[in-house]
Amino acid sequence: MNSGLKSGLVLLILGIISGTLLAVVNYFTAPIIDELELQEKNAAIAEFYDLTNYNLTEVAVAEGNVETVYVLTNKTTDAIDGLVYLVTASGYGGDVKMMIAVNSDYTVQGYKVVSHSESPGYGAEIVGNDFNVSDITDLSGFDAVAGSTYTSNAILACFQYVEDRIVGDFGGALNESN
Amino acid sequence: MNRIDNLTKGFIKENPLFVSVLGMCPSLAVTTSLENALGMGIGVFFVLTLSNFIVSLVMSNKTLADLVRPVRIPVYIVIIATLVTVVEMLMHAFLIDLYKSLGVFIPLIVVNCIILGRAEAFASENKPLDSVLDGIGMALGFTGAIALISIFREFLGAGTITVWGDFGLNLTFIFNFLHMEPIGLFIQPVGAFLSFGLILATLTAIGNKNKERIAAREATVNG
Repeated sequence: MNSGLKSGLVLLILGIISGTLLAVVNYFTAPIIDELELQEKNAAIAEFYDLTNYNLTEVAVAEGNVETVYVLTNKTTDAIDGLVYLVTASGYGGDVKMMIAVNSDYTVQGYKVVSHSESPGYGAEIVGNDFNVSDITDLSGFDAVAGSTYTSNAILACFQYVEDRIVGDFGGALNESN
Repeated sequence: MNRIDNLTKGFIKENPLFVSVLGMCPSLAVTTSLENALGMGIGVFFVLTLSNFIVSLVMSNKTLADLVRPVRIPVYIVIIATLVTVVEMLMHAFLIDLYKSLGVFIPLIVVNCIILGRAEAFASENKPLDSVLDGIGMALGFTGAIALISIFREFLGAGTITVWGDFGLNLTFIFNFLHMEPIGLFIQPVGAFLSFGLILATLTAIGNKNKERIAAREATVNG
């Protein structure tokens, strides 16, 4: 048999074996990974709101920097009490992803940096930092992290993306777009 | 004796990082904290030991070896990539914290030259057991080396040494005592090159001193 063909066959068989192995491992690990991600998301939202009082629905927003909006509907009054935004902006080393929770009176319930790739010692200081934002419609008091202009701008941009949508979203724009 | 040599030569004599200078890319990238370095070491340990075992198993069978030899480099890469992907999926499912802190560096193990280098230079010409020992030794040597770089960088750059999660040392008081800030540069990529160069130079200097001493001793004995 032609030697090139033989080598090709060896690689093909190896590919089939490794593909099968990966498929088997994936079959067992994928449900666990999905479950972990779901738990993590719920745990993040539970930091802002007590989930026993609210029904959680997820609205995927395909446009711009806002990825997903989690709508918290009060179980007793059926009113939308809070929106949790998953929003990204580019920082110094890559995307900064934040969760920002806003109440229906536009006060900020809480915020959290979900993931980032900023420099340790500089931009990475944003994790757990207090940016002094209490009302999403008034960002004038925004407190940047000293020495991390790019990263702080990314955080400010995240807040601004939410500010741009918040009035419309509580006014019912979320339902119309879906 | 030979068996033990296979295991221990990776520690110092043929240390993959400080002597062979292999696998630089992940080593420089993950050494920002001791925790990351140890996590990378664990990943490399699994992949290197298993890939050495599989490669030597395949290459010690004569018919298989003849078939594989013309395309051995792609075959090694596929074997290594499969192992890395399996390790990545298992880590994601069962060691989520470690998976998150290592992030993009787990797939990077695929292109770690140490693994391909050991497969080609050692595992393809030796018995499975020897290859496994070689893999374990090399992985431990690699882990020790990146741990050393990361301790150096993390201490100078951030003033801390994070062993695992919240468990670590906070040595910032040393900087406070000296009235200075930790040198953030050492955590940056530039600092990786500087640290590696400094450590490599120091170790080479010590090695040369030792060689001179041994040579001098031999000269007096012979003379």
